[in-house]
Amino acid sequence: MGRKLLLEHINVPGINTFEVYRQKGGYASVEKALKKMTPDEVVEEVKKSGLRGRGGAGFPTGMKWSFLAKPEGVARYLVCNGDESEPGTFKDRFLMTYIPHLLIEGMITSSYALGANTSYIYVRGEMMPQIRILEKAIAEAKANGFLGKNILGTGYDLELYVQPGGGAYICGEETALLESLEGKRGNPRIKPPFPAIAGLYGCPTVVNNVESIAAVVPIINDGGEEYAKLGIGRSTGTKLISAGGNLVKPGVYEIDLGLPVEEFLYSDEYCGGIANGKRLKAVVAGGSSVPILPANLFLKTINGEGRLMSYESLSDGGFVSGSMMGSGGFIAFDEDQCIVRNTWNFARFYHHESCGQCSPCREGTGWMEKVLHRLENGHGSMSDMDLLVDVAKKIEGNTICPLGDAAAWPVASAIRHFRDEFEWHVTHASEAVTRNYGLAHYADPLPKPEPKPEATA
Amino acid sequence: MKVTIDGISVEVPDGTSILNAARVIGGDVVPPAMCYYSKLAGSGGKCRTCLVKVSKGSEKDPRPMPKLVASCRTTAMDGMEVQNMTSPEVIEARKGVVEMLLINHPLDCPVCDQAGECDLQNLGFEHGAAKTRYEFDRRTFNRIDIGDKIQLHMTRCILCYRCVFTADQITDHRIHGILNRGDHSEISTYIQAAVDNDFSGNVIDVCPVGALTDKTFRFKNRVWFTKPVEAHRDCDHEKCKGEVTLWYKGDDVLRVTARKDQYGEVEDFICNTCRFDKKKTADWVIEGPRKVSNHSVISSNHYDTMKPLPVVKANPVLQEANKEQFERETRL
Ligand SMILES: Cc1cc2nc3c(=O)[nH]c(=O)nc-3n(C[C@H](O)[C@H](O)[C@H](O)COP(=O)(O)O)c2cc1C
Ligand code: SF4
Ligand code: SF4
Ligand code: FES
Repeated sequence: MGRKLLLEHINVPGINTFEVYRQKGGYASVEKALKKMTPDEVVEEVKKSGLRGRGGAGFPTGMKWSFLAKPEGVARYLVCNGDESEPGTFKDRFLMTYIPHLLIEGMITSSYALGANTSYIYVRGEMMPQIRILEKAIAEAKANGFLGKNILGTGYDLELYVQPGGGAYICGEETALLESLEGKRGNPRIKPPFPAIAGLYGCPTVVNNVESIAAVVPIINDGGEEYAKLGIGRSTGTKLISAGGNLVKPGVYEIDLGLPVEEFLYSDEYCGGIANGKRLKAVVAGGSSVPILPANLFLKTINGEGRLMSYESLSDGGFVSGSMMGSGGFIAFDEDQCIVRNTWNFARFYHHESCGQCSPCREGTGWMEKVLHRLENGHGSMSDMDLLVDVAKKIEGNTICPLGDAAAWPVASAIRHFRDEFEWHVTHASEAVTRNYGLAHYADPLPKPEPKPEATA
Repeated sequence: MKVTIDGISVEVPDGTSILNAARVIGGDVVPPAMCYYSKLAGSGGKCRTCLVKVSKGSEKDPRPMPKLVASCRTTAMDGMEVQNMTSPEVIEARKGVVEMLLINHPLDCPVCDQAGECDLQNLGFEHGAAKTRYEFDRRTFNRIDIGDKIQLHMTRCILCYRCVFTADQITDHRIHGILNRGDHSEISTYIQAAVDNDFSGNVIDVCPVGALTDKTFRFKNRVWFTKPVEAHRDCDHEKCKGEVTLWYKGDDVLRVTARKDQYGEVEDFICNTCRFDKKKTADWVIEGPRKVSNHSVISSNHYDTMKPLPVVKANPVLQEANKEQFERETRL
């Protein structure tokens, strides 16, 4: 049983209130940081912890903080990215709903580390209840002297604001988020300059995911080295996984990074296996943007090693046979699910959410969506698969922000691994609208890897 | 600072973008630009036609850049090596971008008022494929009048944002922006509030396609039947120099536009009085005919070539007469 750092007290009644949260040792990291540590020491602890951004890209948080430009007389900002709208990911919402003070505490400690006196939590517009919860938590923290002027008598001032977004997925991209926060249309900015140099209102800014900021709390309480003992290799600490799809027990789980995927999927402590006694067909391991994998490639890497829930292991095999940790949106598909339909559904989402600035993403997402819709409804042709792969390739890497890549990868990977099923939708068009392709060979054991003379990778 | 593009080196000042460095060299190494506009701050980066490959980052950090970059928004570094025409990857990606720009664009240039002076038409001709692979309905919009002089037809828009930047930067209050997202985005003037401003007409000139057109000229004539003439007048608007191009058909001035350089960018923005209200020769001091690149269809009715036009029919009598004519002319 892994140690819980973020969700340790999640089942304590009233943990969403300041009193209970404080009784359980809450806000200790603020006291420790503000009273006993310099901002640079806080940054140093986070660096030591090896914490990697939980918003999707997995960039080391301590490093990101140390890149922040610190010109004299210019304000610095910390912005928390609570836009969470990736299909399959719902961990930030869970955290904000049930243990909002953890985020507030993390925000205070992190703002102190970065020297920010005004910080923002940008929350997706549809999450109105969470916005109210956070605002209440902020008011409570303020009433108890943890926010406002001269916090705990240390001379440090911090104002914390919650900003509802308009409900656009693209506003989760950090520069689009900053535009939106400034009150403009949420178009991603062209980088450089990066937010660390010129972010919110042209000032140096750090944007971090809700979970990344919450993780700062245990890191400061226990020390970075202690945190780094959890996990495996460069994937340190614990991670929230939003498990969904055909599982016996879907939900948000906190795991030690490095947990074998098989254990996560089948043990009773976590997902408890596939619902209704069905077999696993495919998995999207990190939210809709990451490549989809068939069951066999998901459970074992191409070299026959069991996969682990870690940044490195999930991406083992690169785009050919691997996937990514992403934001931890774990979606399991059982044998009755149609991969074509699911791919179309994802494509529809990206088509709907593209901001429309750059031509490959604006036009290409719509094109893929239409071709997939045609395939799913039995009007496709054999050449459609190559067309889709080609369109995906024309989008990938040629756009302003990574949404283009995120739209291309699920389509390209679905065709790479499930081409038979796509072709069946063409060859058996009328059958395909009445029944599904089924499990086929997607869970078959992988062929034994060719023994390599020299392992140099 | 030295930058090398397609093997040709050039010295440029610090802070120059790759695109502008290429423009210093000129010719084929210049990537096409559909959204960047040197006179509009903040423009560029959107259409992705100007993608290039940076094979060497700089003298200090020679690592190549991992992805293709938009040359209009990437600053050149000392010692940087860039591939444009010489990189198959760039050619391929650009072909992809052109295809994307055209999938929702109507392919009916013959009935479009911009034909002959359309950047997208030229781009498609030079970098695109002859056939479309897109088999679905294209998005369409109704035409919208922006005031009584400008018409917007979103169906042809490529969302380059140039007109938005124009409205932002050279007109004094912005009532012009983009609504909606993705491929259903639209240029809008909010409930059709007319863009009523002394400089609003310039959105017509910056638009690379036939989405924003001059209602006082629309469908009066094909641009290649008109004769462009440089002219100026003493304009009393303090921001307008009054230097324009007049487009003549016979004795009539059909249209007035700003003067455009070889990249299709205006030299100076002009006011609406010059553009819409001064359509008599008497209003202007004529400077002389405008030089039109011989690649442009606009030069096609200026028969000042020394060579005889190709004879379509293989008529021996005609061919003989042509030969005679040709010899006579070359002797002269
Ligand atoms: C299209 C798009 C959507 C994104 N949505 C989110 C989001 O909802 N929440 C989030 O934390 N990060 C999101 N990101 C990632 C952010 O850009 C950014 O990397 C992240 O907030 C950085 O925080 P971290 O370093 O703590 O992970 C998104 C990125 C892209 C390209
Ligand atoms: S990739 Fe898509 S979402 Fe991102 S800036 Fe370009 S059009 Fe907008
Ligand atoms: S109307 Fe013309 S200038 Fe404006 S965005 Fe569309 S194509 Fe560009
Ligand atoms: S001109 Fe560079 S992206 Fe459009």
